[in-house]
Amino acid sequence: MPLAVAINVAMSFLVNQLGLPVYLDTVGTVLTAVLVGPLAGAVVGALSQALIALQVGTFMLAFIPIQVLIALLAGLAAWRAGFASPGRAIGWGLLVGALAGGSSSVISYWVFAGVTATGVTAITTLLRGLGLTQVQSIVFSSIGTDLLDKTLVFLLVALVLSRFPQRLLGRFPLAARALGR
Amino acid sequence: MTGRAPTLAEAAHPFTGFAVTLAITLLAFLLPAPWGPTLLYAIVLLLVMAAGVGRAARAAALICLPLWGFLFLLHAVLGGGAHLSIGPIAVSRHGLELALAQAARLGAVITATLALVRSFNPSRFLDAVGVRGWPFAPAYLLVATLQAAPRLRERVGRILEAQRTRGLNYHGSILVRIRAVLPLALPLILGALTEVDDRAMALDIRAVNSGRQRTPLSIPVDHPADRIVRWSSLLLVVAAAAWRLAGSMR
Repeated sequence: MPLAVAINVAMSFLVNQLGLPVYLDTVGTVLTAVLVGPLAGAVVGALSQALIALQVGTFMLAFIPIQVLIALLAGLAAWRAGFASPGRAIGWGLLVGALAGGSSSVISYWVFAGVTATGVTAITTLLRGLGLTQVQSIVFSSIGTDLLDKTLVFLLVALVLSRFPQRLLGRFPLAARALGR
Repeated sequence: MTGRAPTLAEAAHPFTGFAVTLAITLLAFLLPAPWGPTLLYAIVLLLVMAAGVGRAARAAALICLPLWGFLFLLHAVLGGGAHLSIGPIAVSRHGLELALAQAARLGAVITATLALVRSFNPSRFLDAVGVRGWPFAPAYLLVATLQAAPRLRERVGRILEAQRTRGLNYHGSILVRIRAVLPLALPLILGALTEVDDRAMALDIRAVNSGRQRTPLSIPVDHPADRIVRWSSLLLVVAAAAWRLAGSMR
């Protein structure tokens, strides 16, 4: 589990280095949910958020429910062979992105007044400047960035699983089911 | 023995910093805005300096600066309602109050958190958990996570260098950079997963799953002052919550 959390943190660091407008900080959460199960994924998600909170402020703990939601949905996706092809992974990524983005916009509005420690705030400000209301700006920016982010996360996990050593895959029955085998 | 004497924050019991940081986080949202959070931020700044972790305040201010800018822009400049003039610009009165309160909340919480992390000693924390007889696994999970994250981040740097020498281009258009994610992420993730076996074996050798109470090497002293600080933090949070609740029922 610590390594899965560290994958979340390292992936977030990697996209920062590449200057990409996404986070990819749930790769470890989704991977654990697919390999071990949604509850383990939820623990990894909660721990990752706690680690982020220790780096940028404990108020980030408010996003723990979103990490748990993503883990549970990733477990469901694995159960329904959601990683069997890139197309299925993209579909599940879009669904999870919409749900996670919608839920996190509620937290972003009530707890953070629309300003969180992420780049999504710049998009919120831009939309507000274009004339949208504050609520609309927060909801659209949150869902928009999460749709792209979770699609990439699910696609990346599907690719990792497809290249997984057979020796390791045999130890994770849920992962085999996720790949439709 | 060489080296400097421990600061007040480092000498405190490992649980005290967590209790104070948690209390500050809750108080930041419980105290009436905008002056409650602003006063709290001022107190936190004084506390971290007194505890010998004043550099956390500067690091926190650097994290906060862009967020404060966005808060001012989003709520004061682009906010609605009655406006007042500050020099050449007109700002929303309500938005300015909201921005001030939220800026102070962020400042107080981020400063307290960074002060906690800078004074955190993983082995003292594990010893303190052992003395209380609390389950070792969750505490180990927290400490191992804190130690694994910087190691993997360092590995990202090495993978970036290695793939660049093999000709991978990760600069340029957004499509070029997205295409570079896979050859960079795969060695990172697969490498981390193959490490799992080694780590599991190391934990088994140390009898982590034996269920017996562990014997701490050195017991962190829980001074009466530590207990007073922890209980006072709890009382302050309860009092603020009760005050807030009473105010909302009026």
